Amino acid sequence: MKFAVSLNSNDSIFDAVKKSIELDRLGLDYIWVSDLPSQRYAPAVCAAIAKVTRKIRIGLGLISPFLHTSQQIASSLTTLIESYGPRFDLCIGPGDRDELYRVGVDLKNHKNILQSLLNSKEEISTILQKRDIESKIWLGAQGPKLLKIVSAFDGVLLNYSAIEMIEWSLNTIKEVIDIPRSIGVFSPSYVYEKINSKIQKMLQYAAATVALGTSKTVLKEFLLDESLEPARIAYKSKSLDESILKLIPQNIIKKFSIFISQDELPIYIQELKRLGVEHVAFSYPQGYSLETIKELSEGLSKL
Amino acid sequence: MHLSIGLTTSISANRMKWIYENADNLHFNGLWIGEDIGRPQEIFTSAALLLLNTKNVNIGIGVTSPLIRNITTIARASSTLSEMAPNRFRMGLGIGGIQDLSSLGIPIKKPVHSMERAVEILRTIWVNNVNSISNEDLGIHNYTAKYSSKCIPIFFGVRGPKLMTLAASIADGVILSGPRQFVEKSIELIKEKRNSLNLSFDKFHFVLWVPTILIRKNEDLEIVKKTVAIVALDTPDHILEMSGINKSEIFLIRSEMKAHGIEKVAEKIPDRIIDLLCISGDADEICDKFKLYSSLGIQEVVFGPPYGKDARKSMAQVAQTWSKNS
Repeated sequence: MKFAVSLNSNDSIFDAVKKSIELDRLGLDYIWVSDLPSQRYAPAVCAAIAKVTRKIRIGLGLISPFLHTSQQIASSLTTLIESYGPRFDLCIGPGDRDELYRVGVDLKNHKNILQSLLNSKEEISTILQKRDIESKIWLGAQGPKLLKIVSAFDGVLLNYSAIEMIEWSLNTIKEVIDIPRSIGVFSPSYVYEKINSKIQKMLQYAAATVALGTSKTVLKEFLLDESLEPARIAYKSKSLDESILKLIPQNIIKKFSIFISQDELPIYIQELKRLGVEHVAFSYPQGYSLETIKELSEGLSKL
Repeated sequence: MHLSIGLTTSISANRMKWIYENADNLHFNGLWIGEDIGRPQEIFTSAALLLLNTKNVNIGIGVTSPLIRNITTIARASSTLSEMAPNRFRMGLGIGGIQDLSSLGIPIKKPVHSMERAVEILRTIWVNNVNSISNEDLGIHNYTAKYSSKCIPIFFGVRGPKLMTLAASIADGVILSGPRQFVEKSIELIKEKRNSLNLSFDKFHFVLWVPTILIRKNEDLEIVKKTVAIVALDTPDHILEMSGINKSEIFLIRSEMKAHGIEKVAEKIPDRIIDLLCISGDADEICDKFKLYSSLGIQEVVFGPPYGKDARKSMAQVAQTWSKNS
């Protein structure tokens, strides 16, 4: 099992570097750096992290091929790998619809998102092969449609945390295709020693964002659609705030986040192992501070 | 006058590494990286490497086109770079080559408007991380950047008179490339425009970046001639006119190149054309030729590519000669 922390490119470069040094020192396996249109440019953040770390693998992603061309993504990886060695993975996926829309990329205008993603993956792989560059390419996926194309990738990072949802998505994959070589999950996380209410609130926001972006098919499958509807309606007219958060039932927040104590972590990881999951990326707010990183590391040491 | 090094995204990782490892010691003023579309290195990631691995030199994008990336990506990439080394990063914009853009299926419509809009949006995003930004033309809706930047200098790498005039009005500097007469006229045009707008010259920076090649042996002339043949192919007609170059001579080079390839045409390139389209010679001659541009108002000159037969030795030699003569 590999363990990762996803750093938010909302962090200053100084903070990202400081946290990366600590993650490397603590022996975590991966750092993922997501590329969001409103945040710092992830490939440059990856370069800064690679310069100060030695062993830890660095994941560029999720990065959207609807915002960057395959050539640009492949070239970023080329520059990073040629300079810092083959310790970079890539994760592509459509990206956050709302954020993309704000920068002029409307996914509604793309007739075949799945085919576009497959084409991008193929183009990136071809470019990298020609340059003799090796990198694992993951698909960041959640909805049932995306799950159908995972076999074209080296691995899938499922945007789920609830065991039953992960199990359901793996069964969905099995119905149509072979299971990909690597299965991972990434989710808003807070593995704690003692609950800090500020971090807990951040987790609620992060989980709410994922829940609100989840496809209706998935929500219906787990009978969450009706209870989330008031929040979904409110979210159409404004950004996520406290008033919307209040409309989301706690069980939904729980389903879309890893919120467990250090002592509970081994049981959760055991369950993931049973499902065949071999990569867990603890996303924001787990990487919020050196303290939250330490809490995770202590939890992992109990495995 | 300052000496900088030019590189492009076609560069190998090894050469780039050598450049950033030696740039501070060789006392270069800056490193400019230009975008060769579709080539191995990614321009912003490469600029990050240059910034992270140097202490004193300025690092500039020289240049990329606002037409080939989402403008918000350019905004956040340059802001991230500026954060890595405050006051050392410079952002260069140009429309891009017609052939490159058409190969990507990007039409060039209203280049002046595109550049003006790009600068306006970049500066708005960089300074404003509180209010949301919208731009109907680009489909930007309520964009709020979760980053900000101190003022990043914007340089234009442009050649047409309208874009040059725009550079004079809104840019912090310009990267000029072309024969001396063209460079001279461009500087005059910019100065005239800035005068008419009551804008100070002190805050405007003129950079010269032309192909430069260090010659050690006679056989090195072959690189020079090949470089000139490629430059002749790419130089727009209006620049030839502004430079007083006999167009028929260049047209002949172009047609010969199409018919017989670069090897054949390189042999026939006259010395006069070589002197017009590139800077070559031994290290002393190159430095002297560079310094002659100082009288025109050029404040920074960029060496290379293609540098010379041995790129590393050529860069080191020109840097040492420059330091000695300064």
